[in-house]
Amino acid sequence: MALNEMFESDGTVRPHYRAYAEWLAAMPSQRLDEKRAEADSLFRRAGITFAVHGEATGTERLIPFDLVPRIIPTAEWDWLQRGLKQRVTALNAFLQDIYHEQEILRAGVIPAEQVFRNLQYRPEMQDINVPMDVYAHIAGVDLVRAGAGEYYVLEDNLRVPSGVSYMLENRQAMMRLFPELFANCSVAPVEHYPDLLLDCLRSVAPAGVRDPTIVLLTPGAYNSAYFEHAFLAQQMGVELVEGQDLFVDDEVVYMRTTQGPRRVDVIYRRIDDDFIDPLAFRPDSMLGVPGLLMAYRAGRVNIANAVGTGIADDKSTYPYVPEIIRFYLGEEPVLSNVPTYVLRRPDDLAYALAHLDELVVKEVHGAGGYGMLIGPRASKQEIEDFRLRITSDPSRYIAQPTLALSSCPTFVESGLAPRHLDLRPFVLSGSDITLVPGGLTRVALREGSLVVNSSQGGGTKDTWVLER
Amino acid sequence: MRLHIRHETIYRYDRQVKHSVQCLRLTPRTEAGQKVLSWELQAPGRRIEQLDAHGNLVHLLTLDTPHEEIRISATGVVDTEVVEDSSPSARAGLSPLVYALETSLTSVDESLKDFAMGYAVPEMDEHQAMRLAGAIRDAMDYVPGATAVSDTAAHAFGLGRGVCQDHAHVMIACCRLQAVPARYVSGYLLSEHDDHIASHAWVDVWLANERRWLAIDVTNRVLGGAQHCRLAVGRDYLDACPIRGVRRGGGAESMQAQVRVSADALPRSPIGGRSRLLQQVQARQATSQQEQSQQ
Repeated sequence: MALNEMFESDGTVRPHYRAYAEWLAAMPSQRLDEKRAEADSLFRRAGITFAVHGEATGTERLIPFDLVPRIIPTAEWDWLQRGLKQRVTALNAFLQDIYHEQEILRAGVIPAEQVFRNLQYRPEMQDINVPMDVYAHIAGVDLVRAGAGEYYVLEDNLRVPSGVSYMLENRQAMMRLFPELFANCSVAPVEHYPDLLLDCLRSVAPAGVRDPTIVLLTPGAYNSAYFEHAFLAQQMGVELVEGQDLFVDDEVVYMRTTQGPRRVDVIYRRIDDDFIDPLAFRPDSMLGVPGLLMAYRAGRVNIANAVGTGIADDKSTYPYVPEIIRFYLGEEPVLSNVPTYVLRRPDDLAYALAHLDELVVKEVHGAGGYGMLIGPRASKQEIEDFRLRITSDPSRYIAQPTLALSSCPTFVESGLAPRHLDLRPFVLSGSDITLVPGGLTRVALREGSLVVNSSQGGGTKDTWVLER
Repeated sequence: MRLHIRHETIYRYDRQVKHSVQCLRLTPRTEAGQKVLSWELQAPGRRIEQLDAHGNLVHLLTLDTPHEEIRISATGVVDTEVVEDSSPSARAGLSPLVYALETSLTSVDESLKDFAMGYAVPEMDEHQAMRLAGAIRDAMDYVPGATAVSDTAAHAFGLGRGVCQDHAHVMIACCRLQAVPARYVSGYLLSEHDDHIASHAWVDVWLANERRWLAIDVTNRVLGGAQHCRLAVGRDYLDACPIRGVRRGGGAESMQAQVRVSADALPRSPIGGRSRLLQQVQARQATSQQEQSQQ
């Protein structure tokens, strides 16, 4: 039985939801329907849409926004925050080590093979020094609650995590729709995220740069997260640029402006490593900046997130994260990993093959919830098909027990019903490590579904961290 | 052996190029087995130099004044010798395992997999590596123009034809299928045959037992030796190729390259002086140029 965020098992409202529940009970259902329609038009007007994989080209969909907030009590957030900072600090230390001395490999904590025989390890980054030794400046850590309410980290997104604009827009919409709610419930603010992000990016400018010029590098309007790129650039007051707006000369990156070239110090890039520099990575990339890697290696420009962070959030590295925390920080992990079977290991493989109907099997290099099997929800045929894929190349897969994800009341066709949730807080690492209280709560809208990805029919909720 | 090398490359464009950036790996590596006595690189534009991840010296050229051609020349003298047991893993601080992963240019298909498995061995050594190289060469004729620079190992192997780049990629792919690290080497070859271009490519195979790289010239069925001058190494052609560029504008391009390698013997070398060789290579050369759309 999955935990319900709002109700105890006997149906009483949990203390941190009480103020909200009273307000909701007093709300006529007709008025709620009106508010839902209003919310729809708010988001449509803001242009918050999401391009969906696997649907006809050009399909853009509104990510459904649910009016019932996900609420987190103060003490729980304090503990989560501690765990998130610990985890991201350790992952940054891991990246610094892997791209320099590799002590963790020599200590035998992680097999060298595990790191070097992984496409996410970028030889180009070996021995490059980055400001503040920070690699993952922006981390979007996916958390779920299972069983009686324990939190688990599902994955660490350290490459180009997205979704923060939904966190901000959801809050803005809720405040416009229900201003009275925010007067009654003391909800911690998240609106200052762009300020924190800008501070973070400024703090990692190359040494000696006093008033850094920061740009946000987008792949362009056809990218599914373009709205977010434009939104964040506008909120931070920095230029939104595409690869062709930048060029490298004498180890310095410049932006073409109407007043002539202007030096760029920090690039907040929302382009994958493979596309960032056609002279260093994929030669067919039209999105990148030729020569950027050389300017980066020379220390004349910083890139956030750093190139090569994928080795730390890869699903094959994930099982080692608790050990990574112990190794670099000498502390016990605050947040738990989901127990993980690494199918490269014969024992784990044998167990997984015998229990496919109970397990979630994920592809190591997959993303977005496509290359996965959810055993308990799969047909016999689907399980057998997946079994063949696994046995043909076991090292490509990991398996985890199916977690009974927590749920939260959510508006569906038939009224309010519990739907499963996850949570993606955004951790910012620069001279400090900070995060706004909250994150993006994603909700699986189909009954019983555990897949919350927006590309797979998930929706979002406003996330409230209570201030008292 | 003392090699005198002259390598000239000219790019000509149908229309004016507004801006171009070229990444050059045209300086012999400083490593055991070769010593650079003199080397001069002539190229237009502003230039920076760096060592890349694989220990290659890279020059980045930026040309931002309109141009219709680019001339690049590299000239110098390099002493080479056969080094039996250097520890080439020290050439760059990277783990050899980095060179055990498939890249897109070294990707395989079922037919290449089947072929490679016929040469699978528990432990790679010089004899086994040469046997594999010989089999690849038997299966792939040397035919200039048969393939393009962007062709994969699987494609070239399927054709049964190719040039040194293809032989190298297929050899690398076969090694990696057995989890043996192998890397691409770009450089110059002193050759007495006119049909082998002097701007050349071969491979390094990692012998885990002996903890060293073994250089093998698949095209010529020989071990790398004093007749080889090494410019760059990498996971595949893209990491190591002599010239990689991006430009804005320019329309169609033609490229002409000329490499001349000659030798005079070192005082104590048993081999006498070699004749001078002149080779012309057109169209296909170690280069990848990309035109970026102008907006």
